[in-house]
Parts: sequence; structure tokens; C-alpha cells
Amino acid sequence: MHPILKDRRTLAVYLLAWLAPGLMLATLLAITVKASWSGAICFSLPAMLVYAFMSLSAWYVCRAFPLPGTDIAKTLSSLFIAALLSSALWLLACYGWASALEWMEPGLAPRESYPDSLPLLASFGIGLFLIAAAVHYLIESLQSARRTERNALELQVLARDAELKALRAQIDPHFLFNSLNSISALTSTDSAAARTMTLMLADFLRMSMNYGALEMIRLEQEIALVQHFLDIEKVRFGSRLVVRTEIGEGTLSAQVPPLLLQPLVENAVNHGIAQLPDGGLLLLRTERDGKSLRLIIRNPVDPRRIKPRGEGMGLQIVRQRLERLYGVESSMDVQDTGGEFVVVLTLPHHGS
Amino acid sequence: MRVIVVDDEDLARGIVREYLAFHQNVQIIAECSNGFEAVKAIAELKPDLVFLDIQMPKLNGFEVLDLLDVRPRVIFVTAYDSYAIRAFEVDAIDYLLKPFSRDRFDAALLRATGEAGNEPHDAVDNLLRNTRARNTPLERILVRDGSRVHVIPTPMVDHIEAQDDYVSIHSGGKKYLKLERLSELETSLDPKLFVRIHRSHIVNIERLARLETYAKDSRIVVLNDGTKLPVSRSGYEKLKRLL
Repeated sequence: MHPILKDRRTLAVYLLAWLAPGLMLATLLAITVKASWSGAICFSLPAMLVYAFMSLSAWYVCRAFPLPGTDIAKTLSSLFIAALLSSALWLLACYGWASALEWMEPGLAPRESYPDSLPLLASFGIGLFLIAAAVHYLIESLQSARRTERNALELQVLARDAELKALRAQIDPHFLFNSLNSISALTSTDSAAARTMTLMLADFLRMSMNYGALEMIRLEQEIALVQHFLDIEKVRFGSRLVVRTEIGEGTLSAQVPPLLLQPLVENAVNHGIAQLPDGGLLLLRTERDGKSLRLIIRNPVDPRRIKPRGEGMGLQIVRQRLERLYGVESSMDVQDTGGEFVVVLTLPHHGS
Repeated sequence: MRVIVVDDEDLARGIVREYLAFHQNVQIIAECSNGFEAVKAIAELKPDLVFLDIQMPKLNGFEVLDLLDVRPRVIFVTAYDSYAIRAFEVDAIDYLLKPFSRDRFDAALLRATGEAGNEPHDAVDNLLRNTRARNTPLERILVRDGSRVHVIPTPMVDHIEAQDDYVSIHSGGKKYLKLERLSELETSLDPKLFVRIHRSHIVNIERLARLETYAKDSRIVVLNDGTKLPVSRSGYEKLKRLL
């Protein structure tokens, strides 16, 4: 689609811009061939309007000879030929218009003066066509710059999405290795427990893969996934890991992005409970407050531990996902004081 | 042979116990579930060999070794492969990755008893080759001062200076002496944060205030607290690359 014809505003601005050469032509005609002012204007403005539309054809020359990549001499000669052709056509049109005016209003713009004004009209025709071509080249280059920018942005967004997807699907391999080590230890001492743990691990892996591929899941499903994870960790940590789950009324059916709680619970175990010789209580709590859903994870941490610089990977990913999905409707609040680590997620409550 | 098994997970100690039961000449004299217990037990009981987990509450496996006057012979047992390089820097006999087979375990034990001879250790060579890029940097430095232990988080370290067999660690206006070679410490620090700017100086690049040039190959860095340190030519190249 022609960039100027694409919308009315651009077309209006373009036509208005042609008013300037139109008035200039009228002035020059009035001076050189001593035409009357009203006659000169009545002749020039409609003639310019016609030429404005004819000059839109410069676009096709621009398209056929894009500036980078084409021989400049070839481009210039083509443009010049196009200018000659279109101005010749225009001169014919001008002759027709002059005759028509003569017929409508005799004496207003005498047709006899037409031959005298021919050089002036011809130079206007060629010059204006070339200017129009320049403008088209400018528009084209602006558009292509914007196109590249937009493509780059789109690519960036795609890359981010892919990255987030990959990250949320990632299961800490050390969790797997440690669980396998527990199973290996249990096989000789308690083979039934080893089998139970193998099944729990398989269930957990299957769930996280299935859910990871979905856009949204019910909170109930996410809690079940997290519960599986914690059951496996309980085999490893024994009495050091105590879990309490408090489910608020009407929260289980809420729609949440999959694997939202999982990285937070994993953090709570790895950076909290696992770093304490006597372990502690991990609290998982869900609340519904009108239109919003609150998810709370609380766990003890070693108060003397070295706090990491900035937010860890797990927290960052959860924050980004919330921002991306819900914007200002959601928030993630992290408190890390007095040996207690609390993460509160607030997001809109969408029922299923 | 008298051994101590250190791991914060019951089941993980259990499998070592189970595999050791096949060796009549080996006797478990203690089991520890955290780093503090391990330091105490190793110092008191002086075992011939320690099976040592790395990720544990309070003190990790390396820190346990750091706090001991006499380092025992150690086989590391962990799910993390990214500590392998540092493990062999503290002269570990072997590095068992969880979960491990009984054959692999027996091979490690053979190395500990010295029966394995000096044949190349393929499993460890592969491990080291694969983990070189993923080496986990040191998070904190422990310095013993009589009966006290100073814990210095590595980001808090301003600069480190070599003094004969010791390094002097400068952090927040205080100075801590630790028996270690500067080159050893250099390899365990985060290379994005610490640069060896001179034969006897490592600097935390976040403390740099400016770099002054006196002559073609005579430069010094000035830290935020005003400390001036010499920069060698290769140190300058490293700084340039990082900044």
C-alpha cells in the first residue's frame, strides 16, 4: 500500500504541502505571462492538485530502485526519465485545463498565453516530481528504520518468553541427584520406602512437565505439585522438615500460572531449612481477599547467613512472571528479618 | 582404618555406612550431621579418613577443613560437581558424586588405603574437565584467631596481600592473617569480582576508586578508602579487560 494513500491524515498533509508550489506557480504566471491573479490561481491550484496525485507514482520508482543496493547512476537516470514522462503528461493535462477554463470563463486565463508559460510549467513539473521522489525515499527509509526497530523488539520479547519458559521448566538437577541417592540408600534398608520414593519422584516429574506446558492451572494442582516435592524432601531431611499447609476458603479453584510456587518452596527448603541443623517449619498459606488471591510462604533461615547480593534467580523469575501476566494488579513482597523469610504473592483471583 | 562420616542427611550417611560394612578393616568411629560436629570430632578423634559432604548447615565441607589444624585425608561425597576443582586443591583423595555405585565407592576407598597405586584416575579427570567452567566461587573466607573464627563474606573483602606463607585479608578497615598461598586463594575467588593485580596483591574491583599512571609500566590503583596498591603490567591488562 502506498504510504501516503494509506490514511487520510497523511494524504491531507501531503496535499496541503502542494499548496505552496501551487501558489508559487500562480505568482510566477501572474508575473511572467501577465495573467490576472484570479486567472492564475484558478489555473494553478487545480493543476497542482492533479500533479500532486501524479507525483504519488514516484513511490513506485523508489520501490523499484531502493537507495542502498542500486547503482546510483541507474537510479538517477530512471528518476529523470520518470520525471520527464510525468511532467509531459501533466503539460497535456494543463493544456486541457486551460482550454476548459477558456470555455467556462472566457478571458479569465487566456489559452493563448499557454505556450509562453510552457518552459515554466515544464521546469515545475520536472522539479516537483524529483522533490516528490526525494520525499518518498525519506518516508521509505523512516519506515524501514521503524520496521527494523519493531522486529528487534519482537525478537527480544520472543527470546524473553522462551527464556522464561525454559527457566520455569527447569528442575534443579541437585534435587534429582540427592533424591536418587536417597532411593539408592533405601533400596537395601527399606525397599518399600524406596519404591514409594521412586513413585513420588516420577509423579512429581510428570506433573511438573505437564503443568509446565500449560498457560494456567488450578491452584489445587500447583499445591499438589508442591506437596509432592515436599514429600520427597521429607524423605531426605527427615524430622528437620516440617510442613504446614493452610488453605483459605475458595482458593483452590483459582487459576494460577503453573510452577509459580514451586521455585519459592524449593528456595525455602534449600536456602532455609537445609541450612539449619535442626531444620524448621515451612508454612504454605493461601488466602482469598475479595478479588485478590494471596499466596504466602514462610520459613526460618539462618540469621547469621550471608545474604546474597540482590534477589536470587528463583525470586526474580517469579517476579517477572507476575509482572508480565498481571502488571500492577500483582505484587511480590519479600521480608527477610530476624531469622524468618516470608514471600507474599498477591495476584488477581480468577476462578475457573 | 578409622573413618568419620559427615553428611547432614541420614540416608546419605546410611549408604556410606552400608558400603563400608563390606570392608572389615574399616571402622566408623563417628558420624556427624553438621560442620561444627565434624570439626570437633575430627580434631578429637584424628580419623584416618573422612567422608565429607559439602553442602551442610552452618559450615560447608571446605570450611570444616579450613578450621582444622591438621587436615585429615578426605573423600568428598556430594551431589554438586561444581566444587570438584576446589576439592582437589585441598588434596582430596577422591570426589564421589551422589548417587554412586559400590564399585565407584570401593575404588575411592582403595585410593585412600594407597592400594590403587598411581594409575590415572579417569573418572576424576573427566569430572575436572567438565566442571572447569562451572566452578563455584568462594562465598566467604574463614580465618581462625585463637579459639575464635572470623567469617568474612567475600564481597566484603577489600583487598588481599601476600605475606610470606600467609595472606593478609583486608576488610572494612580490619586485617586478618590466614595461612594460605595467594595463588591458591586466587583460584577460589570469583574472577568477576577479584583481580590479581600484582604478584602479591588481589583487589576487589568494586573497591576501586581510580587507576593512576606514573610511567609507562608504573601504575597504582587507589581504593575507596585511600589505600594505594601497585599494579603490574599483566595486572593492568587484566584490569583493562574487566573494566
